[in-house]
Amino acid sequence: MKVTFKIWRQDSPKSKGVLKSYETDGISEDMSFLEALDHLNEILVAKNEKVVAFEYDCREGICGQCGLFINGRAHGPHEHTTACQLHMRSFKDGDTIVVEPWRAAAFPIIKDLVVDRSAFDRIIEKGGYISAKTGTAPEANAMLIPKEIADASMDVAACIGCGACVATCKNASAALFTSAKINHLNKLPQGKPEQHRRVLDMTAQMEAEGFGSCTLTGACEVECPAGISIASIAEMNNRYVRAKLLG
Amino acid sequence: MFFKKSIMAGTGLFLSIFLIVHLSANCLLLLPESMARELYNAYSTILRESIVITIVAYLLYLSIILHVVYAAIVTYKNYKASPDRYMMNHTNETSSWSSQNMGLLGVFILLFIVIHMANFWARIKLGLGDGVGFDAAGNLDVYEVTYSLFQNIYFVVFYSIMMIPLGLHLNHALKSAFKTLGFYHKKGLRVLAKISLVYAVVIAVGFGIIPLIVYLK
Ligand code: FES
Repeated sequence: MKVTFKIWRQDSPKSKGVLKSYETDGISEDMSFLEALDHLNEILVAKNEKVVAFEYDCREGICGQCGLFINGRAHGPHEHTTACQLHMRSFKDGDTIVVEPWRAAAFPIIKDLVVDRSAFDRIIEKGGYISAKTGTAPEANAMLIPKEIADASMDVAACIGCGACVATCKNASAALFTSAKINHLNKLPQGKPEQHRRVLDMTAQMEAEGFGSCTLTGACEVECPAGISIASIAEMNNRYVRAKLLG
Repeated sequence: MFFKKSIMAGTGLFLSIFLIVHLSANCLLLLPESMARELYNAYSTILRESIVITIVAYLLYLSIILHVVYAAIVTYKNYKASPDRYMMNHTNETSSWSSQNMGLLGVFILLFIVIHMANFWARIKLGLGDGVGFDAAGNLDVYEVTYSLFQNIYFVVFYSIMMIPLGLHLNHALKSAFKTLGFYHKKGLRVLAKISLVYAVVIAVGFGIIPLIVYLK
């Protein structure tokens, strides 16, 4: 298939970016979106032009690196998916596809389609872990966890930290991400000892990073590759109030 | 951010309860003219003379002010969090229009409140503009103020149309206020979404249709 890419090109964090058009031929509909970008880059290399910078790692929808804003939607036209799991068969021959980086004040652009998502890391550093003694792994049955709780925790632990929630949010809010990371641990007995501090510290960091507030539009839960519900945000709010009162 | 949003949710819920009371009282206007005038004026006299209602009224003014001020602050911060938007943006496909435009809807509602208060509150409570007479029972003739205003088709249309942004705002607001305050029971949230819709429709249609009925009376 023939496809025209319109891609955001920006040399450095400070420079001004522009959308540039690239016509490509020889794209197969079985290619993933990232393979199509690889294909474009091969063409650019052959023409001795600068390749398009974009991020990826696993290419199987589990690492969250491939954040791309495709045709006006986070990770392209489908719901609950990553860009690496999007295939060219979702487009038509002759289509023009606009590709932009995530846009949020807290995610500054590094180059082309690559943004700096270390704001997420700094939120995690504030409590997205449990303090535990090191040593050999504990006996698995020493701490019993009811299935419903394990499942509910797993539902939010599925967050891959891709940033689609921030990218699609009109306020660039990181509420869905932060809530997923808080609820994941706070639901489990292992996370309980530090639960109140976790909520207060992580949400404070979320604010300090310059993310917007949550209007509960629900756009994030539609784009989230892990399908995390905005009820998770409401749960975080609940835990926040409890932490303020009890913590 | 939590504090500001909680204040907005709390004041919003308080104002939502007020709207129910306000609408129920307005239903008196639907009675036949002679009864409506008497009851409506008697009711408004009770309200004006009650100390409890006076306190509630001040709480209402305060709620409106807090809601608006925090809305402005939050909107400004949100704007700063997402300054350059996308060249191609279809994020509106994934959430409702009203949820994305609560601020704009709020501006319409504020505009309405200002005009509404100029029409009634300023005349009745502050004594500005044309004086208000008394009815046969000696109560301030608030009914006449209402009735004469809604003889003007422009006001009727304005009052009715402005209930559309109010309804849209309320539909998203009610369910979201509960989430902001930490209600997260999944089934409960689904029920809550339905309650919000019904509430918004009742309030918007109720307030929107009464001026029309008064006009046609
Ligand atoms: S590259 Fe890992 S999720 Fe897409």
